[in-house]
Amino acid sequence: MNRLFKYSFLTAAALTLLSGCDQKLNVAPTQSIDDVAALSTSKDVEVTLIGCYDGIQDDDVYGGAFQYVSDLYGDAGEIRFGGTFANLLEIFDKQLTTANSTASVTWSDTYRAINRCNNVLSALDKVEEAKKARIEGEARFIRGSLYFELVRLYAKTWGDGDNAANAGVPLVLEPTRSVTDADYRKRNSVAEVYAQVLDDLTKAENLLPASNTIYATKNAAAGMLARVYLQQGNYASARDAANRVITSGRQRLVTPFSSLFYTFLRNGGANPAEYIFSTTVTAQDGSNSLNTYFGATVSTIPGTAGRGDFRILPAHRALYGAGDTRGEFFQVAANNTFTQKHLDRFGNVPIMRLAEMHLIRAEANFRLGTTVGAAPLADINAIRARAGATALTEVTIADILKERKLELAFEGHTLHDIKRLKGKVGALDYNSPRLIFPIPQREIDANKQLTQNVGY
Amino acid sequence: MRHILRISLWMLVCLSFVAVRAQDKVVTGKVTSSEDGAGLPGVSITVKGTTRGANSDVEGNYRISIPDNATLVFSFVGFSPLEEKVNGRSVINVQLIQDTKTLSEIVVTGFGSQIKRELTGNIAQVKGKDIENMPTPTVDAALQGKAAGVFINSGSGKLGQAVTVRVRGNSSISASSQPLYVVDGTPITTGDFGNYGGETNALADINPNDIESIEVLKDASAGAIYGARAANGVVLITTKRGKSGKTNISFNYQTGTAEAARRLPFLNSEEFISFYKQAAGYRDRLANIDPNDPDSFTQYIFGAGGFLEYYSYGTYGTPQQADVNWQEQAFQKAPMHQADLQLSGGNDKTRFFISGQYLDQTGTIIGNRLKRMSGRLNLDHQANNWLSIGLTMNLARTENQRLPDDNAFSNPLQMSALTPLTPFLDPTTGLPAGTPPGDINIPLYYNPIISINYAKFVATSIRNLTNGYLQANIFKGLKFRSEIGVDLLNQQEEGYFQSQTVRNQTRATNGIGSNYGTFVTNYNTNNFFAYDNSFGRHGISATLGMSYQQSQTKTNFIEGTQFPSDSYQRIASAATKSDGNSTETNFRFLSYFARANYKFADKYLLSASARIDGSSRFGANSRYSFFPAVSLGWVLSEENFLKNNTVISFLKARASYGGTGNSEIGNFPQLGLFTGDAGYAGSAGQRPSQIGNPDLRWETTYQTDFGIDFGFLNNRINGEIDYYLKNTSGLLLNVNIPATTGFLSQVRNVGKLENKGFEFVVNTQNFVGKFKWNTSFNWANNKNKVTDIQGQIIEGGIRNMNRVVEGQPIGVFYTVEYAGVNPDNGDALFYKNTTGTDGSVDRTTVTNAGYNSAQRVVVGNPNPKFIGGITNSFSYKGIDLSVFFNGVYGNQVNFYGVGQYSSANGIYEDNQTKDQLNAWTPENRNTDVPEARYLRGNGNQASSRYIFDGSYLRLRTATLSYTLPTSLVNRVKLDKVKLYVSGMNLATFTNYKGWDPEVSADSFTSNFAIGNDFYTPPQPRTILFGINIGL
Repeated sequence: MNRLFKYSFLTAAALTLLSGCDQKLNVAPTQSIDDVAALSTSKDVEVTLIGCYDGIQDDDVYGGAFQYVSDLYGDAGEIRFGGTFANLLEIFDKQLTTANSTASVTWSDTYRAINRCNNVLSALDKVEEAKKARIEGEARFIRGSLYFELVRLYAKTWGDGDNAANAGVPLVLEPTRSVTDADYRKRNSVAEVYAQVLDDLTKAENLLPASNTIYATKNAAAGMLARVYLQQGNYASARDAANRVITSGRQRLVTPFSSLFYTFLRNGGANPAEYIFSTTVTAQDGSNSLNTYFGATVSTIPGTAGRGDFRILPAHRALYGAGDTRGEFFQVAANNTFTQKHLDRFGNVPIMRLAEMHLIRAEANFRLGTTVGAAPLADINAIRARAGATALTEVTIADILKERKLELAFEGHTLHDIKRLKGKVGALDYNSPRLIFPIPQREIDANKQLTQNVGY
Repeated sequence: MRHILRISLWMLVCLSFVAVRAQDKVVTGKVTSSEDGAGLPGVSITVKGTTRGANSDVEGNYRISIPDNATLVFSFVGFSPLEEKVNGRSVINVQLIQDTKTLSEIVVTGFGSQIKRELTGNIAQVKGKDIENMPTPTVDAALQGKAAGVFINSGSGKLGQAVTVRVRGNSSISASSQPLYVVDGTPITTGDFGNYGGETNALADINPNDIESIEVLKDASAGAIYGARAANGVVLITTKRGKSGKTNISFNYQTGTAEAARRLPFLNSEEFISFYKQAAGYRDRLANIDPNDPDSFTQYIFGAGGFLEYYSYGTYGTPQQADVNWQEQAFQKAPMHQADLQLSGGNDKTRFFISGQYLDQTGTIIGNRLKRMSGRLNLDHQANNWLSIGLTMNLARTENQRLPDDNAFSNPLQMSALTPLTPFLDPTTGLPAGTPPGDINIPLYYNPIISINYAKFVATSIRNLTNGYLQANIFKGLKFRSEIGVDLLNQQEEGYFQSQTVRNQTRATNGIGSNYGTFVTNYNTNNFFAYDNSFGRHGISATLGMSYQQSQTKTNFIEGTQFPSDSYQRIASAATKSDGNSTETNFRFLSYFARANYKFADKYLLSASARIDGSSRFGANSRYSFFPAVSLGWVLSEENFLKNNTVISFLKARASYGGTGNSEIGNFPQLGLFTGDAGYAGSAGQRPSQIGNPDLRWETTYQTDFGIDFGFLNNRINGEIDYYLKNTSGLLLNVNIPATTGFLSQVRNVGKLENKGFEFVVNTQNFVGKFKWNTSFNWANNKNKVTDIQGQIIEGGIRNMNRVVEGQPIGVFYTVEYAGVNPDNGDALFYKNTTGTDGSVDRTTVTNAGYNSAQRVVVGNPNPKFIGGITNSFSYKGIDLSVFFNGVYGNQVNFYGVGQYSSANGIYEDNQTKDQLNAWTPENRNTDVPEARYLRGNGNQASSRYIFDGSYLRLRTATLSYTLPTSLVNRVKLDKVKLYVSGMNLATFTNYKGWDPEVSADSFTSNFAIGNDFYTPPQPRTILFGINIGL
């Protein structure tokens, strides 16, 4: 018995030792799938497009950084920065280090979103015919908008010297599947980047439907085109694009002004009819870094939050006229004043709204001496009337620009307006190297083909 | 393979002829110690050449049944073994002679054990009794300073958090550098499973008092049997087992308090006011504003409705003006209790060890507490003359009230930054400042006390570690052993933040609750043959086997907001289920291993081992790898020219060479992946998440070790000297790629690094006899150098100041070099350090505006040059005193965490360290503290200014105990009564400016981001009283 036991035991032991369990080593991930299989069906491409929106609502992309950087960087005495984030203090002081984390993360997160768009655009052949135009249009809208934001933050502004010689940002138009020498790219010129932006946005405007729930629409693309043309000083095209948006009748100016904001707290997360494009924030997903820095926790308004880092100074509040409700749209918390535009913890992040189109049309018409769509005075008074400000009887270019500043304050236009108008930020000229982000040190280190901006 | 089968069958045939049993008779006797004649309990008595054995009882008596003409072998740890031929006697009394060599000790080697004198590899052994009752909840922290070449940094004083362990240096950049932990044969689940605060430590579930010994496999010869998993060293933990004889019952209770010893000097209210007057005054001069202008910076802080009036609740400038030492509020006196009960015993056939522990330890930082209950049952049973089976089972429940990570406003130590003028209590509500219904925007930053009072985050883990084995003696010398181990980790983390914490947890308007479940099931089996025999002067032992491990981690998570009131804290009551998640990941290892040891004439030793490892973590093309090692030893003291030497009693030279690997890079690093977590506004989305690398393979370390083991003067002085060289190649590296690709990094096998160093261990018996004095000393240096990373730049840590640079140790501090202060204007200065075309370095300086033009250079090294420990033990009549120091020398610590805010020229409103009072003023020109400038960087940029020497020498433990005389305790029917008092971290000698030089900020720590301090809680100083009763 004993022997039999031993015998079988040993056999079993030997078998255990020798039995191959090689196939046991084939373990697949459970939350991820192979990149080759990931874009096989129309549905796969559609969900990747959703991933593009997820990409742009990142804190350091359209989730807020593109907007607050413009306001903080372009500020001269209307905001006081009071937080402890050195990256933001450097922007506020116009003295960036090449390791500035906003400069570095905005760059990488933006290109991450662009790669998602490139994945979508590379797999359009998988998409059901009926959805093809819309999907291509959305991806092109996002990609075009992102390159526009990158080139105006990391490169010399349009028209400062030779656009074809000034270094822009690298253009990547194909999805990355492996890293080869070709992925170590040089910077394309400012002109090349703008050409790509216009190509993407123009195609997007043609491809996109007029309405598309919370996603990009024909008007979003046209509105973005208006911005790009304005930045280039191409007033006729800017005017026409803005006019297309306004005359579409898809959006309207809403009253009162305060109903434009607090989308989550007071409007259940839905956008007011004036929004052309925004990123949608929910309690579960998405971030609003305008809220993080411009916002503050106000005990009397439950649901407000924020670090309270960007404090609005009396110098700004003094710009509003009597009766202008925009001038009252501020909140005192702690011993500082904050704009009410971004107090809502889960508020959607406004990227473009109809008022901006009126302001673009007014400015362009004025400069061109035309009245396409409406006279400049009518456009400006439409904005003022909604805010409760007194109507003007005549307008100058200064009136239009001031109206633009007040209406769109803290929505991400300050720096870019100064640059296109060749103004000044404090003592710095519009084309000062100190008003251009550095190419992130990390990128310079990882890619020897990149050249650094002057001054860094 | 067929060959092995044939051999096995042949072995079976042989077996059939062995089992003829001789007639039995019984021998009894008593084993005593030659020193004092006292009975020795627990001596192992075996019949030579058989597996039959017995143990002496508490008096030293034994009884064993033996065949005729047998020889008995008496062996006991610490004594020389003795052989006695029975020669027909029925009573055999023997005296064992104390062995001063410690060379006859058994060392666990992984799938076996070996006598220390025959070791050819390098294995450091730490006895369980050397770490017992230390007030560190995790065993890794207790190893500090005990094993040569094993560097340990506990990181912070938070209980149950991750501890950095580096065996012979850091041998990886992106893959883990922590050693493999194997408990009773099973590679256990280690690492971080926390979802709040810093990394947790899965070793917290193991009761250190259950441990018999810990072996650290350091060189390739020792480690190669663990192949692809051994490049960072292997820590083998062996738990206590029962011995046949009297049942020993031991009860231990200890209680004490802990306290963090050091404080940083921060400004008091008066100093704060005068400092910020300077800082704001500068800005007014710069902007050309009259300080009395309401828009001036001065008025912003000091004026009516200004900063100070607001944050002092209006008490600034009044008789009620506060002067609060906020830092002090973060600390507390922390009680600790620990009770242990251990029972062990058995008979010829069955032996057991049973233990239970209850530990309740409070942290020295408010809000931190760890409780552990653990029980263990270890059983061994001799089923018959050839088969034995056994079981070890450990069940533990660990409950840890956790603290947030260092870089959180709710980290209590960040209170140090609060304004001293802010009263501790809101004068209106009488509650801590910032507590609703008072103004929640006071103090300057969120008050961590509010989280202590109105929030909790508790991690509770239930851990079951069970191993079973079955061992068959097939014939003389050959045995087969099969082990199966299960390690189940079941952790639940529950957090609830009440509405009062809304300033910190912005979504906590009506409370926010979270619940995380983590389930790790880890199975392992080892099956191996072991052969051990001698033929004349030849001794052979061999091991051949396989092991397979599979581990699965599943997690789930739910979060809810909108609670009816703070009385409801379970997510059942949350009106909004705001977030949820579940995940799963797996890995598997399949390994074959073999080892052979040969010795000739006890003089010449040869050992070879090899392992083939396969893992699911690598691509099919490179799934398996082979790790061989070979080692040699020469016992010179057995040679005729040394044999009768009166000074040199033992001398052995040894050398080893071999390969080990590292595969700790997470699961699926080789695949190009999309992940479905890119949803937007309620719609599902996917995204490219990882760029693939189908050629990815192991990182391999080849290590050479030369060692000498020596014993002088009858081994009263003995020790080891080792030199090693570890070359790691094919580093698993997260290589930075241009972000324009949409990815930041790709895992590649790129680059090489090396570690080399000396280790020196010496144990001496300075006095023997009634008064005993023993010293054991270990010292090790390690030189780490990254030899090739193909030009990659890899950085991390606070403000990316840690960097991996070719030709430098891993993680050097790479930043701009601070050059002090311009005496003319108070500007901070930085060395340019740019290299000219002729190779010369520009040592001119730039000021703040030129900071970008200053070249970053290597300004410090967070890796220690050498580490060591020294223990002195004294004993006289029942009094024992043990004093243990450990030291770390030559490393730097980055104080920038505190520095950039609190030693920072008043750039923000954070309270400043007192050294800032020496800031430049027109009257104080010769200083290294730049002028105070409110909201302006003036020297607080990342620079060498905040890199300090982190060397320290610490009185790690001191224990004084008194064992009552046996005659006395026997009268009350007890065996032993011992009283003790012990202290840990009683004194620290260091020049470091921060709270504690043994620091590693949890928010910033990675393999190469080390030596960072970010308001990190310091190590506790603990004083304990204890009693140990044996019956």
